[in-house]
Amino acid sequence: MALKRGRGVAGGWYGIARTASIDRASTWAELDDGGTAKVVTGVTEIGEGILTVLAQIAAEELGVRPWEVTIGDNDTARAPEAAHAGATRQTYMIGNSVALACREARQRLYEQMADHWGVEVSSLASRDGEIWSEGSNHRCTMREAVDISKKRGVVPVGSANFTAHHTGLDGQDGSGRPWQAYVFGAQVAEVEVDTMTGEVQVLGIWAAHDVGRAVNPKGVEGQIEGGVVQAIGQGLMEHYETKDGRTTTPGFAKYILPTALDVPKVTSVIVEDPDPIGPLGVKGIGEPAMVPTIPAVMNAIYDAIGVRITSLPATPDKIVEALRKKNESAKAVQSAA
Amino acid sequence: MLTCDDYLIPTSLDDALELMTRHSGRQRIVAGATDILPWAREGRAGDVHVEHLIDISKVAELNEVSFGKGRVRLGAATPFQRFLDRDDLVKALPNMRHCAIWFADDQIRECATVGGNLANASPAADGTPPFLALDAEIELARREDGRTVRRRMPLSQFITGPGGNQLVTDELIVAIECDALPDYGGSFEKVGHRRSLVIAVACVSALVSIDRSGRHFDDVRLAVGGVGPKALRLADVEALLRGAPIEAGVIDEASRLPLDLVQSRTRQAYRREVFRGFVSRALAGAARDAGAEIDAVEAELEVHHHA
Amino acid sequence: MPDMIVEATVNGRKIKKIAQTHQRLLDFVREELELTGTKDGCGAGECGACSMFVDGRLVKSCLVPVGKAQGSEVETIEGLGRTGELSVMQKAFHKAGASQCGYCIPGMVMAATAAIRVNPAVGDEEIKERLGGNICRCTGYQKIFDAVGLARDVMNGRLPATALDEDAAEGGRYIGANVRRLDAPSKVSGALKYAGDQVMPQMLHVQVLRSPHAHARIVSIDTSEAEAMEGVEAVVTSADVPGKDGFGVFVHDQPIMARGKVRYVGEAIAAVAAEDLLTAKRALQKIRIEWEQLAGLFDPDEAMQAGAPVVHDYAPDNLVKHIPIRKGDVERGFAEADLVIEERFETQQVEHAYLEPEAGIGYVDPDGVVTIVSPSQNITHHRHMLAEILAMPINKVRFVMSPVGGGFGGKEDMIYQGMLALLAIKSRRPVKLVFTREESIATTAKRHPSRTSYRMGLTNDGRIVASEIRVIYDGGAYGMSTEGVIRKGAILAAGPYAVPNVKIDTYGVYTNNTPSGAFRSFGSLQTQFATESMLDMAAENLGLDPFEIRRINAMQAGDLTHTKQELKSVSLLQCLDGAEKASGWETGAPTVRGATREDLDGEGCRKPCRLGARFHAEIPAPKLSEVA
Repeated sequence: MALKRGRGVAGGWYGIARTASIDRASTWAELDDGGTAKVVTGVTEIGEGILTVLAQIAAEELGVRPWEVTIGDNDTARAPEAAHAGATRQTYMIGNSVALACREARQRLYEQMADHWGVEVSSLASRDGEIWSEGSNHRCTMREAVDISKKRGVVPVGSANFTAHHTGLDGQDGSGRPWQAYVFGAQVAEVEVDTMTGEVQVLGIWAAHDVGRAVNPKGVEGQIEGGVVQAIGQGLMEHYETKDGRTTTPGFAKYILPTALDVPKVTSVIVEDPDPIGPLGVKGIGEPAMVPTIPAVMNAIYDAIGVRITSLPATPDKIVEALRKKNESAKAVQSAA
Repeated sequence: MLTCDDYLIPTSLDDALELMTRHSGRQRIVAGATDILPWAREGRAGDVHVEHLIDISKVAELNEVSFGKGRVRLGAATPFQRFLDRDDLVKALPNMRHCAIWFADDQIRECATVGGNLANASPAADGTPPFLALDAEIELARREDGRTVRRRMPLSQFITGPGGNQLVTDELIVAIECDALPDYGGSFEKVGHRRSLVIAVACVSALVSIDRSGRHFDDVRLAVGGVGPKALRLADVEALLRGAPIEAGVIDEASRLPLDLVQSRTRQAYRREVFRGFVSRALAGAARDAGAEIDAVEAELEVHHHA
Repeated sequence: MPDMIVEATVNGRKIKKIAQTHQRLLDFVREELELTGTKDGCGAGECGACSMFVDGRLVKSCLVPVGKAQGSEVETIEGLGRTGELSVMQKAFHKAGASQCGYCIPGMVMAATAAIRVNPAVGDEEIKERLGGNICRCTGYQKIFDAVGLARDVMNGRLPATALDEDAAEGGRYIGANVRRLDAPSKVSGALKYAGDQVMPQMLHVQVLRSPHAHARIVSIDTSEAEAMEGVEAVVTSADVPGKDGFGVFVHDQPIMARGKVRYVGEAIAAVAAEDLLTAKRALQKIRIEWEQLAGLFDPDEAMQAGAPVVHDYAPDNLVKHIPIRKGDVERGFAEADLVIEERFETQQVEHAYLEPEAGIGYVDPDGVVTIVSPSQNITHHRHMLAEILAMPINKVRFVMSPVGGGFGGKEDMIYQGMLALLAIKSRRPVKLVFTREESIATTAKRHPSRTSYRMGLTNDGRIVASEIRVIYDGGAYGMSTEGVIRKGAILAAGPYAVPNVKIDTYGVYTNNTPSGAFRSFGSLQTQFATESMLDMAAENLGLDPFEIRRINAMQAGDLTHTKQELKSVSLLQCLDGAEKASGWETGAPTVRGATREDLDGEGCRKPCRLGARFHAEIPAPKLSEVA
């Protein structure tokens, strides 16, 4: 058959947040009128869903609902520093700082409510827009609680910073503590290779990734699926080319990206090995999702047709050429025998 | 960026030709606009200013599709999507829907016209091989002394080389006329670097009719693109196959014939490898589409290819 | 500017507006009708972000001259939710988590809507084909397929409308719940304003003059003719920079605009702010530059040789950075090895290809604060750098991050914001720059191409005893993130495996190629591709299953990393187990056994794409309750 199938696996690892230097992020939080919440940070949504993740964290910590949380501006003049959107750091760095800031705001509210009700602060709990004292019949909505607190003269606000204590690498032997949280992953790829045209179709990817704790599992899947497909693009078709420094791939007609017809089904397996240092146990997934894909696909191509591609991308031409060489050397061996 | 002083939208052929003549040397034709707009960008032609853009897509005659005497007449402004969504065209032109499904994408097929695709005369144009297989003729028109003069020629003559065609100054493609072959099976094979919205490295189209037994080729039409400066009909292969049994050995032998035709200087080794397989696949696919029982033959062909 | 009157019906309302003759339907809708939900992703019909309906047919509006829309019925993303509620398709995108950055999404929703309108019983394979003209760079498409299938099933009654609602979070526990993305409604409706969608009163349009040369000295620049043009309000070059001119993530080696010489094709030299785009474009042609050509350097290995052209004076060896990692004694390790494998690997330069090309607005606010609105991934650092460049107090420089239509690391570099600041200051008006797709591809950072030489020694029982890895990364013309990329590449190079003897050297070098910068997975994708390929080669040699060889070597809690950090917890084995189990992996050594495997084509595999799904019905025709 001209159509050959094969499977391959690859592992991978990644460090969370900025490498080999101290990382930090900060947040201001406020339980607001109507039992809503304001959370202000230098957060920078780049499509990964961090706004929703932070709203979920704030909602759970404060005892409100995610859609009642307003996330403040991405604005250097209006928000505290949370550094940048990259390095798979936002859920870890900013997520943890949001949790800490919300805990402080919540504590401020709890102190007022405990005093108001004449109960211990430690007996208070809040969830889903309600606040109550365990073991008593004191209970009210967050709207009422914020109103009571404010009438007592206290706006329930909090602020917090989260730090990742990384060290630089030694200049001689590279030793150091570049990250405090590591994640791991493994992916299996199944491919079909058309040995006549050299086309490779990736039909399935099974991707298992440790994310510490999945705040939004569907969002984690989205990151894995997107990362896998970007990696397939690099593995099979994408190639920015220049001649004497001038690009010969100036538009999307020449710079070929994966379309809906070129992508596998992706099955995500979310592994949760909580980070012991941060308050939430979360880690991250944005970048590590694409690390094992390319070698898994190349190992699968080898499994299918016995050709090892060591130079990316594995274009149809390259596959056909490698097959031709392989067949020639096989024939040479046969005739020599 | 493409800029212009005016954008003219004639509705009759005479008006369109008249405008072309009047603004001769200072105008360009716009049909589907799917080539001219990307062309006038960085990395290609850059910023282009044309005094008069003449949009011919509203010219009634260029949008007509008619049937008669075993032929189909397609107005030059017919978009490729019609090969997928017009039942009469799907039936009459069995290879065109297979071509169209590979052609760009749904949106571009709604705009890109048959006339434009052929006039651009790209060596790898998806539309050329299937139309060659359909024995297409091109009807051209121009304005001379206040009247419209028409002429026609086979598609194989119309395209002269990469980007080259027989259009003279201020002449327009009016229609493509080709065989209606409702009893044939058709196929189209293409490879690029992905499966949608991609320029072909190579493409092949076949049309096959089979005899009553279903075991012999009756008629075979085969054309290839991406081989050299222009797409080609493979007359030798067709002759070899007419009346021949639909067997793997026959198809495989046929698929060895056209390798010398691969003249493209770039990626020649790759194109040769692909063509041999593509000719087999296109023949087998068209035979299947015509109703032949082909599973065993296809399985055997794969063995041949790797022998 | 020549113009024409366009009469059409847009989203059910009759309009009569003046259009410029050269406008495309996309421009007309966005600029004259101020409907910015439709996006310009490539301008050449290659991405689908501008998809809309014209007379009921789905088209790419960047390929439609506005004249073609005369008298037609146009329907844009804003037309789908006319009742003030999202359409079923939009709700399905919201529910399925189908939008990430959101920039492709209006076009994607239109293509999905077209698919259902054309074939209410559209099957899963046909959905893929009908979305084939729309590129998404974030989602991997899977959640988009889910959304279209969900919308189809709700519309034809196979699923209740409640399938589109938010899933309840159990017991008010929101961490761990599939809360629908809060920003999705603004994205699926096209309401969200990216930088390129925003306008300000009195705003000028910016165009950038870019270098045609890879390496050349600028003898002189004469902008006087351009400045004298009617409609041109400001022209800036490096001479207009008041402070310390340099930016970069690790080393500030890149000027806002070329200073003295250019180092890559596409480098900014001058920028013009004018009343309209065409005037700004014309002004670029009036800028005169006298050049002195320099020898170009295009190969990273050549860059490291003595006598190679020098790209930056401060780095006469063209070295951005070298990162060494040493652990144990590799030579002793190789001596102990039963098997030594050597191989070379190469990876290519890759474009981020976010669907939103770079765009930004600069203005000086009434309090004298220079403000930049742009999809920057690092507003904090950009503010620091721009304050230095402008020689202004840091609180007089403000960065606002507009919605980012995809970043992937590519929007971490401050490559155009400085020009916006200078032009806003000089013209005293708001200025806006939107990159074309070609400009974005040719002038912004890429993934570092790499060349890796790898030597791995193993014992017969599959243990890696030595890894020696040397990688050259081509950093291109400027430092950008190169130092960090090669550091991360080095730290992670030998993989998550306990290797006693390690010698790793990564080098980042300058060339006159398009600069390389930050890109999702940041240098480690290159090295781990090599490691994971080597492991399979070793497994074949040793007759080991590929999972097994990875388990044998997997780091465990308490192990030291290659940089000698003790790990408290390692989840690699759990991940290997998870992938193996989910895929139903058949155990065996990787000896080209695809033909005999029995685990193929199982759950989690899609059908190979053969094209033509619409030629035959995939699923039986449904009863139609609603078609969007």
